[in-house]
Amino acid sequence: MQDLLKRFGTVIAYLVLFTVLAASADNFLDPYNLLSILKHVSFLTIIALGFTLALAAGELDLSIAHVASLSSVCAAALLFNDYPIVFAMLAGIGCGTALGLFNGLVVTRMRIPSLIATLAVSTIANGLAYLITGGVAYVGRLDTAFLVFGRGNVLGVPAMILWMGLTVALTLFLLKRTRTGVHLVCTGEAEEPARLAGIRTRRMKLLGLGLSGLLAGVTGVLLTSSLSSSSPAIAGEYLMTGIAAVLLGMTTIEPGKPNVVGTLIGALTIGTLRNGLTLLGAQYYVQDIVLGVIIIVSVSASARELRKVAFSVPH
Amino acid sequence: MLLEIEDLGKTYGAVSALSGVSLAMDEGEVVGVCGDNGAGKSTLMRIVAGAQPPSRGAVRLRGKPVRFTGPRDALTAGIAAIYQDLALAVDQSVYQNVFMGSELVRRSWVPGLRTLDKRAMRERSREYLARLGIELESVDAPVNRLSGGQRQAVAISRALRWEAALVIMDEPTAALGVREKARVLDLVRKLKETGVSVLLVSHNMDDVVAVTDRVVILRGGRLQGEVATADIDADRLSHMVMSGRMQ
Ligand SMILES: Nc1ncnc2c1ncn2[C@@H]1O[C@H](COP(=O)(O)OP(=O)(O)OP(=O)(O)O)[C@@H](O)[C@H]1O
Ligand SMILES: [Mg+2]
Repeated sequence: MQDLLKRFGTVIAYLVLFTVLAASADNFLDPYNLLSILKHVSFLTIIALGFTLALAAGELDLSIAHVASLSSVCAAALLFNDYPIVFAMLAGIGCGTALGLFNGLVVTRMRIPSLIATLAVSTIANGLAYLITGGVAYVGRLDTAFLVFGRGNVLGVPAMILWMGLTVALTLFLLKRTRTGVHLVCTGEAEEPARLAGIRTRRMKLLGLGLSGLLAGVTGVLLTSSLSSSSPAIAGEYLMTGIAAVLLGMTTIEPGKPNVVGTLIGALTIGTLRNGLTLLGAQYYVQDIVLGVIIIVSVSASARELRKVAFSVPH
Repeated sequence: MLLEIEDLGKTYGAVSALSGVSLAMDEGEVVGVCGDNGAGKSTLMRIVAGAQPPSRGAVRLRGKPVRFTGPRDALTAGIAAIYQDLALAVDQSVYQNVFMGSELVRRSWVPGLRTLDKRAMRERSREYLARLGIELESVDAPVNRLSGGQRQAVAISRALRWEAALVIMDEPTAALGVREKARVLDLVRKLKETGVSVLLVSHNMDDVVAVTDRVVILRGGRLQGEVATADIDADRLSHMVMSGRMQ
């Protein structure tokens, strides 16, 4: 019983939150509102799953938001200059992946803790984004064939929700069903034992941070498509919300461990909370305060694991 | 010769943990390594297992010089090790620990993609543990729920799993009960019968005398000497270790 509560306490809290909002916020249960929550949650989940994979390998990726923004700007700049859609999208995702791998190389080769390394790379990414745009935002004028990726529907289901579902399925499959996924998790949980057991731990950290960059890139490109615009700040909010989603996720399903389903639940909770607070007329700064509190409370539940990650020096 | 170590040395800053150690091992030979705390036994075995690079010296495997960049190189070359601290991922299950780094996979419905074969890993883990006389209720339980002896059995199972030509054991029986210890010693004999070499690091002189062919004694990181096990008993051996004299 206590075990169940420990595993599903956060899920129960989410259901309570949902019920309270349904009862107190007027338009909360409106299908359009619920759909808009899910769409927002989709971006959040995809980027947060990247953070989850990096954390599973034992590293923090604080660059996800700026890397996503850079990927967005990258894709938008190419589209505005009439490059083919697929090329622009791949360039955006490639840009995120490249920065993720760069994070990985800085951490594993130069042995700089990821807390510092990814913060530095984040700043670089932000600078590059402003360099590309020259400070202005790209708004409108994007090909509708590009916009379907973020705005389209398949059999009535918004494309964004499908992207989220696909990402959840793939990351879950990676971590639970493949040798590589198990090696990634072992690296994060017990680096030295993993190394002694023959796991290439540095490669796994590179992979975790690389995939985090890739998913940040995907998020950036999808944001561009969905909003039909881009700016160096487009994904800015996703750093704190993404981290909060992952940390909240670590309190459930597999308590103490970064886990895919937990991250999804964390993202749902934060997305729902944001929406609810907005409907209830709370100011944006109230949302930030709530977000901060969520982070502290979640971390207090899994502090041991995180301390290990945040302040460890890579081998 | 299966393994030849020549003039091996290791320094940590100003500390010399190992210096000028040479040793050769034949296939199917069981060699004991004895010495006081801090004598350099673990340092020696960790270098041979690829866990640490040597500061000096050479290792040859079947006559070929090898330079391991990490434990994986040693494992794939046929050298598996049980570490003094066991090196287990304590939050993970027993079977995951036994197969850590060499997980069993099977074909999946996606061509070319292999997925974990958890059932086979559970089953085979149970077999490995049974060989050591350890029966667990569930191999899905995390290692941190096990006793010290059970953990040691998990670490030993992992090393067996690689089917290595040389198995290095650093204090493998330290936490074991009488019955389980006898099983491990039996296991060493069986490995020998099948042509596997064993390097046994131990403070337990009775164990060393019971299963080894030869014993090397380390002292302050240096090779003090070497004796044939047939010529000594446990008392003589501990006297040699303590006094540092080989007579
Ligand atoms: N990482 C390290 N940094 C500095 N010195 C070390 C390190 N590892 C070992 N040493 C030193 O090297 C020497 C040999 O250590 P080692 O662990 O090989 O001894 P041992 O024979 O295995 O001892 P024990 O019987 O206690 O296990 C010791 O003096 C130890 O303090
Ligand atoms: Mg030792």
